[in-house]
Amino acid sequence: MIWKTAWKNVWRNRVRSLVVIASVTIGIFAGVFAVAFMNGMIAQRFDAAIDEEISHIRITGKDYILNNDPQIVITVEDSIIPAIRSLYGINGMVQRTLVTGMAGTASKSAGVQIVGIVPEKEKEIFSIYKKIIPGTGDYFKRESKYDLALIGQDLAKELNIIRFVIDSAVLKKLEIQKVPGDILDKISVLAGKRFPNEKKFTSTITSILSKSELREYAQLVKNEAWSFRENSKITLTFLDMDNNQVSAVFRIAGIYDIKNAMYEQVQVFVKNDLLCQLAGIDENSFHQLIIRLNDVNQTVGITNEIRTRCPGLDVKNWKELQPDLAMMTDYVHQIYGLFMGIILAALAFGIINTMLMVVLERTKELGMLTAIGMNKRRVFSMIMLESVFLSLTGGVVGMIFGWISVVLSAKNGINFAQYAEGMEAFGYSAHIFPEISLSFFILITILIIITGIASSVYPALKALRLDPAEAIRTE
Amino acid sequence: MKILELKDVNKIYNSSEIKVHAVDGVTLEFQEAEFAAIVGPSGSGKTTLLNLIGGLDMPTSGKIIINGTDLSKLKSSQLIDFRMRNIGFVFQAYNLIPVLTAKENVEFIMNLQKWSRKVRDERTFELLQAVGLSDRANSRPSKMSGGQQQRVAVARALASRPKFVLADEPTANLDSKSAATLLRIMERLNHEEKITFIFSTHDARVVKMAHRVITLEDGKVVSDDVRE
Repeated sequence: MIWKTAWKNVWRNRVRSLVVIASVTIGIFAGVFAVAFMNGMIAQRFDAAIDEEISHIRITGKDYILNNDPQIVITVEDSIIPAIRSLYGINGMVQRTLVTGMAGTASKSAGVQIVGIVPEKEKEIFSIYKKIIPGTGDYFKRESKYDLALIGQDLAKELNIIRFVIDSAVLKKLEIQKVPGDILDKISVLAGKRFPNEKKFTSTITSILSKSELREYAQLVKNEAWSFRENSKITLTFLDMDNNQVSAVFRIAGIYDIKNAMYEQVQVFVKNDLLCQLAGIDENSFHQLIIRLNDVNQTVGITNEIRTRCPGLDVKNWKELQPDLAMMTDYVHQIYGLFMGIILAALAFGIINTMLMVVLERTKELGMLTAIGMNKRRVFSMIMLESVFLSLTGGVVGMIFGWISVVLSAKNGINFAQYAEGMEAFGYSAHIFPEISLSFFILITILIIITGIASSVYPALKALRLDPAEAIRTE
Repeated sequence: MKILELKDVNKIYNSSEIKVHAVDGVTLEFQEAEFAAIVGPSGSGKTTLLNLIGGLDMPTSGKIIINGTDLSKLKSSQLIDFRMRNIGFVFQAYNLIPVLTAKENVEFIMNLQKWSRKVRDERTFELLQAVGLSDRANSRPSKMSGGQQQRVAVARALASRPKFVLADEPTANLDSKSAATLLRIMERLNHEEKITFIFSTHDARVVKMAHRVITLEDGKVVSDDVRE
């Protein structure tokens, strides 16, 4: 009866209750969507880091990590591979050879890390092979008489391998993407011109488009004007094991794009046997052993186990290699809880105000209820339930709207193309797919109920302090 | 059978400067199934006396004993429970719960006492029929006239078979026809249910129907007439 009465009381003043419910709905909706957005961003960053950059565990020779000394190698004879493979929870392993050097073209050069890989084995651990930009080549698939190197998009831009061209095909593509005619007219004056690098192209379109047009369409135009010179060459220069300078010309196997500018600028992949041969590294030696686990939650346990089995080596897991990412994933739920807590605390003041008005308006009725035998516990429960119903109704509607918005936006993602450069500089994709877990909805529901209860305490105590004889006489 | 006893009951309100002796040395006894009216001019202490009898207020001195229980010996929570089980209230302004239907208002106290649904339904139907509102069981107070609301209030007061019903000016807000209907119903229920009714009233019609009339002046009982 108390539950039924409390629920009916919520709807006694419809407009007032709907205002409170609407404010809770908007707050929860905004909170759910913001958390889903952050969650999607962090999850994408985590997946990218594990799948494309570092995997779960990385083993190197003792102190290799201090100065990347190529002399510090692990050899197959160390028999660590069978020792690790026998561990439960290992999904796969891959060996890499590394040398530091320079990559250069006729016009530019940049410092790089040259990574010797066995492409087919790499596919078991990393998914870079899926990130080759269409039209730029492939992941060491094609037969070639030349030596091949896979480079990142940002290095390609840096070395002027990527050029920018406006031609009729580009204009047609932009028209299909609903770029307005007046902008197409402005861009068409660039038709037939070639820009050797992004900087020159950007400064040219900046001079012909307004600020608002640039904000809206610059990235789109860049994406379409982007072109790749086939069979481009780069020269990789590095020191071999005897400290002799080695230079070799490579053709571009393909250009990868993993939305991490720092990684793309530095990491150049070549076939391992070729790098070993050029650098004079024994083919039974390698610099890194990278391990993929079945379950990321086993990372710390397996890391410790490997450390026990391989005491002479440096064993680092992803948490140690990228502590910022570890902090984000470890504390993400506390951060979300705090974020929602702040939203709900703000909403609580509105609920308290409403419930105080409720008590004030119903003084006579509350006095009557106490007079006819409703004890303090029941009066308190009734006020508390009204507050919980009020907040929970808004909360549930907000969660439903939030969930729908997450589902809809996750279909195609939210693309912040205009901020791509800045976001990719920190390793975050500008194309975000919001995601949220069921456990988060459970957490919000609990927080909403706590907010409802907490908001009712002061008004309910006021109701309990009423003197029934006086309250009944109230007009 | 004696159900209510007041022994030299005094109630003094202490404001900052003046002491008000609202009830002054009242000693009374009420038997089962009485139909009594407390009358007197405004400020004579009628409502204060009803509040004391109903345990809504505590006397400054003296004793109020209901069915052998001294109210002053009860803790606040026990007093609320005692009121629920022993006393029915009818207020001048009806004071029904506006969001509940007539039926739900009547069964409210039975719900608080955790009566079974079957017994509750039977008692509610019986009472709504007795007050002539069985056809308005599902109406909310806002859809009923003042007289009908007060009849629902009477049914609610009787729902848990209390020892007595206290009614503070029950007909004050009613027109003469509604007041007459209400009084007839109360008199019949008093007779049928053997429940004592104690009214405070100014209404001559109530006084006329009462079997006992207690007159208060300045908080003192100046007459106590029992009629046959």
